[in-house]
Amino acid sequence: MNFIIDQWRAWAPGLDSDADWLAWSRQPVRVPDGDAQPSCDFLPPMQRRRLSRLARMTLHVAWPLCAEDEQLPFVFASRHGETPRTYALLSEVAEQQPLSPTQFGLSVHNAIAGQWSILRGQRGESVAIAGEADTFEHALVEASALLDDGAPAVLVVLAEEYPPEPYRDWIDDVPFSYALALRLKRAGSGEAWQLQLEPNREDAAVEAWPHALNVIRALQLRSDTLVHAWKTRRWIWQRIP
Amino acid sequence: MNALQQDIAQLIINTLNLEDVTVADIPPDLPLFGEGLGLDSVDALELALALQKRYDIRIASDSKDARQHFTTVASLAAFVQAQQEA
Repeated sequence: MNFIIDQWRAWAPGLDSDADWLAWSRQPVRVPDGDAQPSCDFLPPMQRRRLSRLARMTLHVAWPLCAEDEQLPFVFASRHGETPRTYALLSEVAEQQPLSPTQFGLSVHNAIAGQWSILRGQRGESVAIAGEADTFEHALVEASALLDDGAPAVLVVLAEEYPPEPYRDWIDDVPFSYALALRLKRAGSGEAWQLQLEPNREDAAVEAWPHALNVIRALQLRSDTLVHAWKTRRWIWQRIP
Repeated sequence: MNALQQDIAQLIINTLNLEDVTVADIPPDLPLFGEGLGLDSVDALELALALQKRYDIRIASDSKDARQHFTTVASLAAFVQAQQEA
C-alpha cells in the first residue's frame, strides 16, 4: 500500500522539536524517562485534569496535525497501553482498596481515542488497536483502509509508556516513553512511502529501537528503505521518489 | 474558612488534579458542580472515595442527601463533621 506522510510530530522525554529528533536520529541514545510529560496547556486546566501521561503525549503530538475546523479519522495504536495505570489499579485490588472511579473508567484501550474525540469535537471514526511488535504497521493498515473509504486524511498515533518496574522483565521494547503522530493522505505533496508485507522466513534480528523510532530516524535522515521483520511477517518500507 | 474547610478544598484540588487552582479559589460557598467550580458526576464519585479514605467516614451511595452534602465545601465540611461526631 502507498501513502503520503503529510506531517508528523513526535515526543519523548527531552525530545520534542525537529532539531531534537534530528540530533537523536544521528546519535540515538536511551534517554532517561523520568516523569516528564507534555503540558498540553492548549487546554484549560479543567479539561486537563483527567489526562494521563500517555494521553498528554498523544494529544501533544496529534493536536497541531488537525486543523480547528477539521474532522479526521483517528487511529490510536499502542502495544502495551497504560501500564502504570494497570499496575496501580491491580495494586489497589491486591490491597483490597476501593478503585478510583476515574482510573477505572479510563482503563480501557480506547480511552485516549475517546478523550481526543471529546476534546477536539471529533465525531468521525476512531480506532484503538494493540498488536505485537508490529503494532505500528497494523495501525497503518487501518489508516489505509480509512483512506480507501474516502477520508481525505487520517491521523495515526503510536504511543508507548515506559513500564513500571515490575513489568520491565517482560516489556523489553519500550526503552523510554514516546509518541509519534502521522497525518497520512493518499495523494498530493509530502513524503511518499510504500509499505509491503511479505512472509518472513528468517530469524528476525533483534532491533535496537522500537520500529516507530526507526521510522522517525528514517524520516529525519532521509533513508529510503526500512525492513521490519517480526515472527512470520516482514514489512518493507520503501520511500517513493 | 475554617481548618476543615481548607482541608477539604485542598483534598478536592489534589484528588481531582486541578492544576492552577488554589484553596483560595474555592470559597466555602462556591457551588462545586455545574456553574461554579465546574465538577461533574465522575468527580463526585472520586471525591466521595477520597473523603471516605481521608476522614474515615461512610457515604452511602444511594443516600438522597448526598447531593445536598456535595453542594459546596461548607456543606461537605458540615457533613464530615456530623459523620465524625456520630
